[in-house]
Amino acid sequence: MNPYLRDLADWRTRAVFLRNAQVYLRNWRTAFLPPALEPVVSLLAFGIGLGAYVGAMKWHGQSVDYISYMAPGLVAQTVFATPFFETLYSSYVRMFYQKTWDGLLATQVELRHIVWAEITWASARGVLNATVVCAVLATANALGIVHVHAAWLVALPLIGFFVGWCFAAFGLCFTAIVPSIDHMNFPVFLVGVPLGLISNTYFPIDAHQGWLAAAMHANPIYHLAELYRSMLLGNAPDAHVWWLLGTSVGWLLVFATAAQALVQRRVLAQ
Amino acid sequence: MSEILVARGLIKSFGDKRVVDGLDLDLGTGSVLGLLGPNGAGKTTTLRMLYGFVEPDAGDIRYDGQLLRAHRDELKGWIGVCTQHDTLDHDFSVEQNLRVYASYFRPKLADLDRRVAELLDAFGLREFAKQPPRQLSGGFQRRLMIARSIVHQPRVLFLDEPTTGLDPAARVDVWRLVAQLRAQGMAIVLTTHYMDEAERLSDAITVLARGKAVARGTPREILGEVLGEHVAVLDVADVDEVALRAWAQARTGNQPARVLEEWQIPLSASQLAAFSETFAHCRFTVRQPTLDDLFLRLAVEPTAPEAA
Repeated sequence: MNPYLRDLADWRTRAVFLRNAQVYLRNWRTAFLPPALEPVVSLLAFGIGLGAYVGAMKWHGQSVDYISYMAPGLVAQTVFATPFFETLYSSYVRMFYQKTWDGLLATQVELRHIVWAEITWASARGVLNATVVCAVLATANALGIVHVHAAWLVALPLIGFFVGWCFAAFGLCFTAIVPSIDHMNFPVFLVGVPLGLISNTYFPIDAHQGWLAAAMHANPIYHLAELYRSMLLGNAPDAHVWWLLGTSVGWLLVFATAAQALVQRRVLAQ
Repeated sequence: MSEILVARGLIKSFGDKRVVDGLDLDLGTGSVLGLLGPNGAGKTTTLRMLYGFVEPDAGDIRYDGQLLRAHRDELKGWIGVCTQHDTLDHDFSVEQNLRVYASYFRPKLADLDRRVAELLDAFGLREFAKQPPRQLSGGFQRRLMIARSIVHQPRVLFLDEPTTGLDPAARVDVWRLVAQLRAQGMAIVLTTHYMDEAERLSDAITVLARGKAVARGTPREILGEVLGEHVAVLDVADVDEVALRAWAQARTGNQPARVLEEWQIPLSASQLAAFSETFAHCRFTVRQPTLDDLFLRLAVEPTAPEAA
């Protein structure tokens, strides 16, 4: 069996994942608030506020109001940002401040299981938060604020799981190398924010060639946002499905390998 | 007494620095091995290699004859670890800490409820079972750390400075718990800075300095072997430092240790007689050596005192 799949399926990865899940369930009321409120604020501020000035947009030949254009991007942004921030901040706190990993490493759990459990849990949190965002969008749709094919909202969070996995592993790479938690500003503002901006989440970028087009096509968030948009606005899913699959799995393999090596170096070389 | 843990030729370096340098250790079932040494001696790294946290660069670690690196998954289930730093899961209650920690071991305990109840009672944690560990005193947090480290019924327990930072009453509590575990047949490796703790709890002691074992045996054997039978104590104002240092270097091969306003010089019986003659004009007292003197020796000497 592939060592990644073996470690992923190992009972120790499951035990650490369940530990994180248990902590989340203890604090679910506070954990629930950001994903529930952020889309409400975004819909009000950008969708209704800014949308009034933007008016209708052209997307794949159809006329779409800005708030409905933005709605799928909100879900894509949540699916990407939640795992990225989870492994940047929460994993760092567990690793450095709470010494949770030190306690785990004194058991039968190995560091590779902790790494897989952290990125899988982070991705699961992305799915959970995206589910809350979808519930908000369903409500907004029922109220006539956005106009989307609401039935697809059920499927969006799970479709994003691989993208979340990929960016959770990416975040953990930084967690393994930053000198202190203050240095997280570098990956957040130099990597996370630009990636979110060049992914058609909140506004379309008309790039068909050059470095920007290449960067967008290599970015799974772009394909996820476009796939979500085609599902919610009634277009048939196109090549973005395959691009999404390829970039997510490809980057996951790269980042997970790097995260394993970097975390090993940081934690075990003390 | 059968050997449950045997380590041979352990070497570990971090970068250019060799932290553990060719260390051998033996631990029998139902016995306590004390690892002593000043800060930076290699105690914690040794412990971390023994319980599988870090891989040695060279050397073998065997549990009951089985190589740790070859049977790692199984053998780590034999081991309990109480780390030096607080690694309690403060997101959970006292009782949940025991339950969640048990989930990190296989095979699963047949009756986890009974085991958790047993530990809560044995370690006096019953009344705090539903509280988060942060609300406990330092002594009770340490109790919980030890209770948690044996929830899966290990055969070997590692205690890394288990009483550091505790008040005297809490230290005695921990000593009592360690003695109980030893009486139940558990093999224990203990690191400590406290000589009284090592003397009270350990069947044998290995003293580390700069990654090497510089002395082994019972506390009394080690003190006699490394330091001699006596320690002369002089007021710094009563003696010429240059003369004292020169004499000590020439006659004992070591430098005296300065502790606040005192000079302390470990001496054999014959060295004490010579010292009395040379420094007859000085007032000094003589006492038995302690492990404090050994620590001071190891801390001030640039070379290991193996030749002493």
